[in-house]
Amino acid sequence: MSQHNGAGHALLIALHRKQRKMQTKQSIAIVGATGSMGAAISEALAKGPFRLLLHAPKKDKLKTLTQKIRKAFPSAEVEAIDCSFNASWEADIIILAVPYDVEKELALKIKQVANQKIVVSISNPLNHSYDRLVTAPGSSAAEELQKLLPNSKVVKAFNTTFAASFHTPVIDRKRLDAFIAGNDPEAVDTVKKLVETAGFNPVLAGGLDVSSTLEGMQLLLIRLRMRNQDGWEAGWKILHR
Amino acid sequence: MHELFFQKFNAMVPLTGEEEEIMKSYLTPKKIRKKQYLLQEGEVCKYIAFVEKGVLRAYNVSDKGGEHIIQFALEGWIISDLFSFLTGEQATYNIDAIENSELLLISKASHEELLRTLPKYETYTRLQLTGAYIAMQRRLTSIISLTLEERYTYFTSLYPDIVQRVPQHMIASFMGLTPETLSRVRKRLSKK
Repeated sequence: MSQHNGAGHALLIALHRKQRKMQTKQSIAIVGATGSMGAAISEALAKGPFRLLLHAPKKDKLKTLTQKIRKAFPSAEVEAIDCSFNASWEADIIILAVPYDVEKELALKIKQVANQKIVVSISNPLNHSYDRLVTAPGSSAAEELQKLLPNSKVVKAFNTTFAASFHTPVIDRKRLDAFIAGNDPEAVDTVKKLVETAGFNPVLAGGLDVSSTLEGMQLLLIRLRMRNQDGWEAGWKILHR
Repeated sequence: MHELFFQKFNAMVPLTGEEEEIMKSYLTPKKIRKKQYLLQEGEVCKYIAFVEKGVLRAYNVSDKGGEHIIQFALEGWIISDLFSFLTGEQATYNIDAIENSELLLISKASHEELLRTLPKYETYTRLQLTGAYIAMQRRLTSIISLTLEERYTYFTSLYPDIVQRVPQHMIASFMGLTPETLSRVRKRLSKK
């Protein structure tokens, strides 16, 4: 565009109206909203400028959660949606707040409407005794999800944050780190803002191939907490001078 | 979900099955409710929207709060703030839904990639833009040289669906009239 057109356009804006600082709300589908992580994420993101579309199979629990969020945050835009496909269709960002063994089935269900959208993988692919990862060495739940949704922008986030830590993201006056990994810079930047809204310090760990490290990290933390019988209000913090 | 998009696309530029799959991989399906915004002025327009189902409108708002509708988009139409989309500058349009709608969005990144890799998309884009320019020229000519009755008749003959689905005050806004003036125009036409 020529300089003349750019200046003309700026004049048009000035003549027509005052600058409006409006921002169209991003719609976020949280699938598995009534699980411990889903509920924690839903309540945390209700603080932000988002439109939340919550889905879970148990309708009563979902209704209770929605009402709880509306009571705590009267100005929040939050709605229970019957169907994960419809929630994902309306959404700009889809958070799969489900265990690893449910992720694949869910991904195939929403694949068509998740096309070109940000899909957040929060899962840690652990076995039933929580003592090892079930994904192949060198792979990760997030990378497997990316293969199932090749045209979506899969981002790994919230897998290194326990549900309990959403209520206490600051421990010893230090804000817990929450690691994020993804291949699409714009998608990662968007998810970074979600992590900040939730109260954590976002740490951009790298491309999606770093997910296996992040999932391994959380396996370690889970094992330590279980072995020492410590609570779940814990997390990671990188300290440096 | 993509039927109308490919019907329209193929009517302009026939695609092979493989090319359709490539094209589909770049489209973002988005459901939007009545009165929900797709874009607000001041933001950067990130998408071109194809209307698979529903009706959208693009408009700006004066300092006094009056809405001036620039464009409607029914099924098969495309809507965007093209200046903002192409330049990354702030949009002057608001775009929202008049009915619950189903859209297929093409992001800037998808658009650029398709222009680079799918020659038929470039042809499609050229035909869309030339079609839009011709429509705009026709509209400008009608505003300058036709009476209000002739403009309304021309508009409704081109888009008979719009009158059934869009409130009268919005059609008035689009024509640059008050609702009362449009009502008088319609009365005069009905007496003929």
